[in-house]
Amino acid sequence: MLKAVLGALVPLLAAVVAFAFGAIMLLALGASPLAGLDAMLDGAFGSGSRIAATAVKATPLILVGAGITIAFRTSVINIGGESQIIAGALLSTVVALSLPDLPAFILVPLVLLAGAIGGTILGAIPGALKAYASVNEILSTIMLNLVMVQFMNFLLRGPLIDPFELEAGTRIPQTQRLSDNAALPTLIDGTRLHIGVPVAVLAAVVAYLVLWRTPTGFRLRAVGHSPEAARAAGINVKRNVTLAMALSGSLAGIAGSILVFGSEGQRMVTDGSAAGFTGSAGFNGIVAALFGGLHPLWTIPSAMLFGALLTGATQLQRVLQVPAALAVALNGIIVIFVISSTPVRGWLQRSLADSGLFNRSTDHVEAD
Amino acid sequence: MKRQRRLSPSILVMLGALAFAGVACGGGDAEEPAAPATTAAPTAVAAGPLRVAIVAPSASDDLAFSQSMVDSVNALERDVELSITDGTFIVEDAAAAIRGYAEDGNDVVIAHGTQFGASLMEIAPDFPDVTFVWGTASDTQGLDNVFAYAPAADEGGYVNGSIAASLTDSGVIGVVGPIEAGDAVAYINGFEAGALAGGASEVNITYTGSFGDVALAAEAAEAHLANDVDVLTGTAQMVVGAVGVATDAGVPWFGTQANQTSLAPDLVVASQVYHWEVVLEEMLALRDGGVLGGQAFEINLANGGLVIEFNDGFELPAGVRDAAEAMIEAITNGTVDTSNATPAVAAGPLRVAIVAPSASDDLAFSQSMVDSVNALERDVELSITDGTFIVEDAAAAIRGYAEDGNDVVIAHGTQFGASLMEIAPDFPDVTFVWGTASDTQGLDNVFAYAPAADEGGYVNGSIAASLTDSGVIGVVGPIEAGDAVAYINGFEAGALAGGASEVNITYTGSFGDVALAAEAAEAHLANDVDVLTGTAQMVVGAVGVATDAGVPWFGTQANQTSLAPDLVVASQVYHWEVVLEEMLALRDGGVLGGQAFEINLANGGLVIEFNDGFELPAGVRDAAEAMIEAITNGTVSTGS
Amino acid sequence: MGDFFTLSVLVATAASAIRLATPYLLASLGETIGQRSGVLNLGVDGVMLLSAFFSYWAVLETGNLWLAVLVGLVVGLAMGILYGVITVGLSATQGISGIGIFIFGLGLSDLLFRQQVGTPKPVRRLPNVDVPILSDIPHLGEALFQRNLLTYLAFLLVPATALLLSRTTFGLNIRSVGENPQAADSLGVSVERTRFVAILIGNSMAGLAGAALVLQLGIFQPNLTQGLGFIAVALVYFGAWRPAGVMGGALLYGLVNATVLQWKALGIIPVSGSDLANMAPAILTILALIALARRVHAPSALTKPFTRH
Repeated sequence: MLKAVLGALVPLLAAVVAFAFGAIMLLALGASPLAGLDAMLDGAFGSGSRIAATAVKATPLILVGAGITIAFRTSVINIGGESQIIAGALLSTVVALSLPDLPAFILVPLVLLAGAIGGTILGAIPGALKAYASVNEILSTIMLNLVMVQFMNFLLRGPLIDPFELEAGTRIPQTQRLSDNAALPTLIDGTRLHIGVPVAVLAAVVAYLVLWRTPTGFRLRAVGHSPEAARAAGINVKRNVTLAMALSGSLAGIAGSILVFGSEGQRMVTDGSAAGFTGSAGFNGIVAALFGGLHPLWTIPSAMLFGALLTGATQLQRVLQVPAALAVALNGIIVIFVISSTPVRGWLQRSLADSGLFNRSTDHVEAD
Repeated sequence: MKRQRRLSPSILVMLGALAFAGVACGGGDAEEPAAPATTAAPTAVAAGPLRVAIVAPSASDDLAFSQSMVDSVNALERDVELSITDGTFIVEDAAAAIRGYAEDGNDVVIAHGTQFGASLMEIAPDFPDVTFVWGTASDTQGLDNVFAYAPAADEGGYVNGSIAASLTDSGVIGVVGPIEAGDAVAYINGFEAGALAGGASEVNITYTGSFGDVALAAEAAEAHLANDVDVLTGTAQMVVGAVGVATDAGVPWFGTQANQTSLAPDLVVASQVYHWEVVLEEMLALRDGGVLGGQAFEINLANGGLVIEFNDGFELPAGVRDAAEAMIEAITNGTVDTSNATPAVAAGPLRVAIVAPSASDDLAFSQSMVDSVNALERDVELSITDGTFIVEDAAAAIRGYAEDGNDVVIAHGTQFGASLMEIAPDFPDVTFVWGTASDTQGLDNVFAYAPAADEGGYVNGSIAASLTDSGVIGVVGPIEAGDAVAYINGFEAGALAGGASEVNITYTGSFGDVALAAEAAEAHLANDVDVLTGTAQMVVGAVGVATDAGVPWFGTQANQTSLAPDLVVASQVYHWEVVLEEMLALRDGGVLGGQAFEINLANGGLVIEFNDGFELPAGVRDAAEAMIEAITNGTVSTGS
Repeated sequence: MGDFFTLSVLVATAASAIRLATPYLLASLGETIGQRSGVLNLGVDGVMLLSAFFSYWAVLETGNLWLAVLVGLVVGLAMGILYGVITVGLSATQGISGIGIFIFGLGLSDLLFRQQVGTPKPVRRLPNVDVPILSDIPHLGEALFQRNLLTYLAFLLVPATALLLSRTTFGLNIRSVGENPQAADSLGVSVERTRFVAILIGNSMAGLAGAALVLQLGIFQPNLTQGLGFIAVALVYFGAWRPAGVMGGALLYGLVNATVLQWKALGIIPVSGSDLANMAPAILTILALIALARRVHAPSALTKPFTRH
C-alpha cells in the first residue's frame, strides 16, 4: 500500500513539474499562471455545457483509442487513424446525401454503420499489405493519411460540393447541409451532448469484450503475444493481422461519421488539411490509448482528460489572449513528463509485455 | 488479466494534479462571471469600448488573410476592446470559440473564415443580441444578426494582372495558389483575365493543394521559373515560400490580401490590400441604429475596401502606373467587367473562324472582316470559309466551326441570322459574332456588329460633290439592304448637301453580278455622270468601267485604291477590329455575347482612307477632314 | 506533354527534386541510425520545427548563414539529449514520448516565433555553390552540381552513414544493440551509452534537416514542416534501414513532387485534377514498396527499452 502511494507520488510530482513549466511560460507571456489554470479548468469543466463539450471532444479519441488498443494488442501499429476517420466521414456523408429522407431511427444507425465500413476499408488495406505483401504498416498508414487528405479535398471540392458554393463561386470545400434525419440526437437539451458519446463508450466496452471474451479476441491477442506460437496453434496469423487493422479502422471510421453528424453545421467541411477536419484525433487517440495502458475501458477516462486539455486550451487562448501555441506546447510537455515517470513506465511495461507489442515484431512473419 | 481493473496510475496522477490545482485556485474563482447584459437595448451604444472578437483560421500576423481582418479592426475609428482567437482552422474548435465569445458578452463576433458558416448558422440564433460578422461570404442565410462580407478579389487581381502583362518580357506569367476556393480562386481568375487581356501570352496557374505548405509553394514557383515565367503572383499564407524564390531570381511579385512589400522590398510591385474597415464601419453604424445584421457587404475598388497599394521601391516603366490607375477607374465605373468565375480564354491562340458570303479577297465586305481579324493584337488561329452565299451552306459551315472547337465564329452576313439563332444555343461556350446586325435576338453568346456606313457615305458624298463638273453623280448598289443602303443614303445626303444637283442610284439586285454592275455604271455614264461610287463585291465591274472612262471612284467597306490607283479618291474602310477587341475582352471576362456594337467615325471603326495617288483640288481635303470632325461630334447628322 | 520533355524543363525538375529531397534525406538518415540501435523517434518533426525556428532567428539577428546551420545542429543535439534522457535514462515508451516531443516542438516553435518575430520576415537563403568541373557537365551538372552546401552534405552523408554502420566499431555496436541488446551487453558493450549516442547523432541530423528546410526557403512560418518529419520516419522503413535505400526513397518522393508541380505549371495536369495529382507521391511510394517487396528485416530490438535481466 505504501509502495503504491509512493509510486503515485512520483508521477504526481512529474505532473506538477509539467504545470510549473507551463506556469513559467505563462508568466513569460505576461499572463497569470493561476488565471491560466483557472481558464483551462473552467473551459473544460466550468459548466454543464462545457463538460458536455469536453465529452464531445473526447468522443473521437475514445473511439480511435479503443481501436488502437485492438491493433496494438495484435502487435500492429496503426498510425492511420486520420485516413480512417476521413474515409468513414466520406462514406457516411455519401449515404446521407443519397438517402436523406429515411426516418432518423434508420438513418442515424445507417450513417454510423457507413462510417464503420469506410474506416474498415482504410484499415484493411494497410493490414493486408502488411500481412500479404510485407509492407510495413507505419509506412503505409502514414502514406494513406496523405492520400486520403487529397481524396477528401477532391471530393469535397468536386462531386460532393454544396451546389450553392458553385453558384456563389466561392467553392468552399464543404457539402450542403446534410439531412436533419441523420443528425445525432441530443441527449441533454441546451448542451452539445449527443448520442455519439454513449456510442463511443459502448464501442470501447464492446472492444474490451471482444478482446477478452471472444475466441476472435483471444486469437488476436495470441498473435500479438507470439506470432510463431499462434501459427503453431493453428491460428491464421495473416488473416488476424488484417482483421486487427480492419477493426481498428472501423472504430476510427465511426469517429469520422460522428464528427460530421454531431457537428454544429451538419455538414462535412475542411480547410484542405487533414487536421482541419479531424482535429488530429487520429493522433491524439493514440496518446489516449497508450495513457490508458492499452485497455479499452481505461481509454475512456484517459480520452476525457485529453479532451479536457484540448477544450481547456481554447478557453485559455480566449480568456487570456495567450497564443494557442502555448497550450499545444504545454500538452506536449505534459505528455513527456507523465510518460517519463517511472512507475508509469513500469506499469506500462508490464501491461505492454502482456500485449507483446514491443517484444516481438510481426515483421518476422513467415510465409503462410 | 484481472490486473487491468486497477485504476491506471497515469490517470490517477492527472486527476490528482488537476484536483490539486483546482483547490489551489479557490472554489469560488472557478465560477465564471455571468454574461453582462450590455446589449439589451440595441439603440444604446454601450458605455465604454465596443467588445469585438475575431476567430481566424490562420495566424493573425500571417501577412495574408487573417492579418487583413485584424489590421482592419484596429483601423476602426472607435474605441474597441479586441479579443482574438487565431490559428483555428479546425471548424469545431472555431465553432467553440465563436460560441464562447458570444457567451462572454462580446458585442461583435467576427467569424473570419468561409468554412465557419455552417456552425455560425447554428450559433447565431442562440444569441440574438450579438452581431455576428461572417466572411468571406455573400449571403447571410436569412439570419438577421449576421452580416456577411466578401472581397471582389477578382478586381484587384485583374489590375495586378494587367500591370503584370506590361512588365513581362517572356509573356509568360506564373501563379501559385493554395486550393481552388474562396477569394483565392476569385483573385487568380481575375488576375488571369487581366493579364491575358493585357497582352500576356500565357498565365500558368498551379494550385499546390495546401494553404500552409511553404516548401511546396517555393517549388511551385521554381517550376514556373523553369517555364520562362518572369512575373509571379500568388495568394494565401504559404506564398512566403514563393516570394523567397522570386527574390532570389529577381522576379517581380504581386501580392494580395495584405501589403506584402516587406517580404521583398525591391521586387513587390503592388498588393491588393483588403481594407475591411470600410464595410465594418457600415455594419457598426447599422448596429448602432438597431440593425444587428441581415446584410451582405462587398469590398471592392469602388468603395475603397480594396486598395491597390503600390510599392514605391519598385520602379515601374513610364505610363504603366497611369494605365493601372485608368484600369482601376474603368473597373470602378463598370466599363471593364472582371467578375466571372472562369475566364473563357484558353492558353494558346484564340481560334477564330469566319464564314463569309463572298471572296475573302474581294476588296469589299468579306475582305474587311478578314483584314480586321488579322489586325487584332493577339495570337489568333484563323479559319475561313468564304464564298458561301447560299445560306444553307453557310449554316453548315458555322455549325461545323463550332463543333471543331473554335472559340469565336464570325457569321459575316446579315442573311445568316436566322440560321444562327438555331445554332448558337447548341454551343453555349462559343462566341458567335454576327453582322451586319444591330440585335442579338436575346442570345447571350452572340455579339452583333453594324457599321454606321452612312457616316462615311456622307463624307464621300460631300467630297464627290466638290469634284463633279456635271453635277450628276452615279451610285451602283446591290440590294437595298444592310450597310449598302445605309452607305448609299448617306452618300446621297452628303452629295446633295455638298452641292451636287443629281444623285442617280441603281440597285442591280445582286451582290455578285459583276457584269450587271458594269452595265449599270455604263448606264450612269451615258447620263452625264462624272463621279461614281458603289458598294458590295460586284463593284469591281463598275470600277473597271470607271477606269476606262477616267471617272473618279469612291469606295467603301475596304480600301479600293488598288482597283484603280489613279482614280480612287477615298474609301470608307471598315476597321472591325475596334469592336472585335471589345468583344474579345468581354469574352475574356466571361461575357460571351449579348451586346451589339457599331463602328463609326467617332470610335475609329470607320476610317476615310484617302488615296495619295489622286490629287484633290486645294481645300477639298481639309473640308473633308472638317466634315469628318463635324460628324464625329454630332454637328452634322447623317442619320439613316 | 512535349513541353515537359524539353531538356531545360527536365533539368529544372531534377534540381527541384533534389532540393525537395534534402531535408527528408537528412532527417531520415538520422532516424535510420537511431532505429538501427533500437530506438524509434516519432518526434523528428518537432525537432525539425524547433531547429528551423532557431536557425531562422539566428540568420535574422546576425545575417550569418553558417552560424544558423550550427544553431540548427545544436538545437537538434539539445533535443537529442532530452530524448536520450527520456528514452534511455527513464525508459519511457518510445511511441508516446516521441509524439510528446512532436507536440512540444510544434507548440514551442510556433509560440516563440509569434513572440519573437511575429510577421514573417524573409532572410538570406543558402546560396548555390557550383562543384568545380562537375557542374560544367551539360544538363546533368546543372541539375546535380549547382546546389547548396547542405544538399551536398546530405548526399555525402549517405555513404558516410553506410560506412559508419558497416565498417566502424561504433557502427557494429549500434547494430548489435539494435539486434540483440542482451548479447551485446554480455559482451561488454554499453547498451545505454550506444543508444544515447545514436540518439544524439540522429537528432542532430534532424536539427540539420530543419536548418536546411528553413534556410532553403529563407523564411519561417508556424508548422513549416507540414508533417515532413513523419514522412522521413516512414522513409526509413521504405529504405529497409539502409542508407542507400533511404536515399532512394527521399529522391523518389522529391522527384514525384517536383514532377507534379512541373506538370501543373505546364497545364498537363489541369487545375481540376490538382487534388488527385497531389496524391501521387504517397501512392507511388506505396506501390514502389510493394514492387520492391522483399523480406525486410527490422532491428529486432526496435522500440524495446533495455533492461538487464
